[in-house]
Amino acid sequence: MGITVGKPDVTPDRPAHVAGVRRGNHQGGRKRQPGHRRNNLSTARRSTGINARHRNPVLPDMPNLSPA
Amino acid sequence: MTTRQAAPAQPRTLTEVAFDPITRIVGNLGIYTKIDFNAREVVECRSTSSIFRGYSVFMKGKDPRDAHFITSRICGICGDNHATCSVYAQNMAYGVKPPPLAEWIVNLGEAAEYMFDHTIFQDNMVFVDYCERMVKETNPGVWERAERTPAPHGEQHGHRTIGDIMRSYNPFEGATYKEALVMSRLTREMICLMEGRHVHPSTLYPGGVGTVATPQLFTDYLVRLTRCLDFVKRAVAMNDDVFDFFYEALPGYQEVGRRRTMLGCWGAFQDPEIVDYSYARMNEWGNRMFVTPGIVVDNELVTTNLVDINLGMRILLGSSYYQDWTGEETFVDKDPLGNPVDKRHPWNQTTLPAPQKRDLDGGNYSWVMSPRWLDRRTNEHLALDTGGGPIARLWSTALAGKVNTPYVRSTGHSVQIDLPKTPTSPEVRLEWTPPPFPNTLERNRARMYFVAYAAGMALHFVDQALNEVRAGRTKVFQDFTVPKDAIGCGFHEAVRGVLSHHMVIRDGKIANYHPYPPTPWNASPRDFYGTPGPYEDAVQGCPIFEENGPDNFKGIDIMRTVRSFDPCLPCGVHMYLGGGRTLTQSHSPTFGALA
Repeated sequence: MGITVGKPDVTPDRPAHVAGVRRGNHQGGRKRQPGHRRNNLSTARRSTGINARHRNPVLPDMPNLSPA
Repeated sequence: MTTRQAAPAQPRTLTEVAFDPITRIVGNLGIYTKIDFNAREVVECRSTSSIFRGYSVFMKGKDPRDAHFITSRICGICGDNHATCSVYAQNMAYGVKPPPLAEWIVNLGEAAEYMFDHTIFQDNMVFVDYCERMVKETNPGVWERAERTPAPHGEQHGHRTIGDIMRSYNPFEGATYKEALVMSRLTREMICLMEGRHVHPSTLYPGGVGTVATPQLFTDYLVRLTRCLDFVKRAVAMNDDVFDFFYEALPGYQEVGRRRTMLGCWGAFQDPEIVDYSYARMNEWGNRMFVTPGIVVDNELVTTNLVDINLGMRILLGSSYYQDWTGEETFVDKDPLGNPVDKRHPWNQTTLPAPQKRDLDGGNYSWVMSPRWLDRRTNEHLALDTGGGPIARLWSTALAGKVNTPYVRSTGHSVQIDLPKTPTSPEVRLEWTPPPFPNTLERNRARMYFVAYAAGMALHFVDQALNEVRAGRTKVFQDFTVPKDAIGCGFHEAVRGVLSHHMVIRDGKIANYHPYPPTPWNASPRDFYGTPGPYEDAVQGCPIFEENGPDNFKGIDIMRTVRSFDPCLPCGVHMYLGGGRTLTQSHSPTFGALA
């Protein structure tokens, strides 16, 4: 038995990825994400590109709680 | 001397009563019963679904990274559970461990989903069966008594009598009904904060989340959670009052929906400290989940090992519209630990739909298959149910004794939940203890306790997430590469019970994908051993307490039983019209026709 279907006009296994487009999961993507450090911390640069350094904590011991 | 002869057994007069489709659930479910009105008992029951799930067919060949976005669409109310489960399966296949903050964010989103979905189902759908109007129609005697019975927890929820509570359940006008809708908005907002969108999340990915973690994010969540806690405390007290009253007013009501204890829970809320999604360590990290996975048979915990749970899964046929796949390809013959994988395991399943006429007399009658769990101790294929989700989750967690957080604890025989003081209510300690056996009322009662459980867990998750953020550890995503060949499985709890996704990747594409949500377990028809599915089993032998006769019979006791499982048979039929024929084409000009 089985379902009777028409002639398919789609290619279901066509790759979703288009060559040349950067992938979200690409390893080493960190270099395109400014403000994210290798040690899993982040700085105010992740929130803004304008005078980001001025928005970092004033003391080195303070955590860097950048706005969204 | 007189001779007494045994009177010939009275032939039973059976009336066929069909409920198709059943309302106030998702999807298309039919319950076909044979009722003996003289003995006031349901004698036979068959559950059917006319909905075909095509996901396992059209997932083949897709990019595996799309899996969670596509499978989320399986359900219009718990899509985020599917997305999460698919992400878990992908994490295993790609060998990626998301950063801790990402895990806390997913847990927070899922906790809000449990709160949202259980509340809207319980107060806006289930309680219509227990509201003033319904009880007046079906059991006028009970309503009279409810009006006279004071509510034992009146000082907590503000309703003087049981009748007052039932009045507040009236659809569209009752206070509880309306308040639950407001709560569902708040809890949806909580999910959107964490997962970007409800019900199909936009910021959940394998490897982590796209949510930007700031103190503001978690504060916004916490504000809403605190408002919900007031409602949750009242709701648990109201639930207890109403269900206790039913036992009192209708002696014997515990037999309604009674079933042998055969519950399954696949666990929820990962612990980032240990979870690495490797199959080899699945037992270890599975046991650290904040809802313990487990199988409870005859009130005893059989296992909490996810590897055993996984390997015991069997998808049987017997009354379903499919061809057998035993002659088809075997995708996974051994799991990564070297254990043999059965041909009827989801990893090896090939879906071969065979549409046909419904035959309720010994033939095929449903699109739902018959998932079973093979109990190695007895070699029985157990028709596990989820009891709508909460009762199985609480039972398994209670007996396992592995959860110990500041707000929620498992004692080995019960679950304790401490909810803190909130704007309009003092602090409360709730304790859920397993009932002697699962039945309709206990499945419903557990639901609101689990809302409290999820709320207590959410408080813990917010604390943990804020600790990460305050320490500056804001990383929420881990890069990965997609392997050419891999297998993965995800175990999670959809709102209404067990959820698993099994995936096989070949040549970088999906070669096989099988989601198993809770309703296939609960709504399954008779398998080829003749074992009825849980709905059928719970309704068969169910006593009838409704006061109406056969002429104006509403079947309220049957409906309460079926709805106690929180049925959900979503996914529309996936039709193919052939040749790319366009049905309709319409165009709505954005700026008006003359712009």
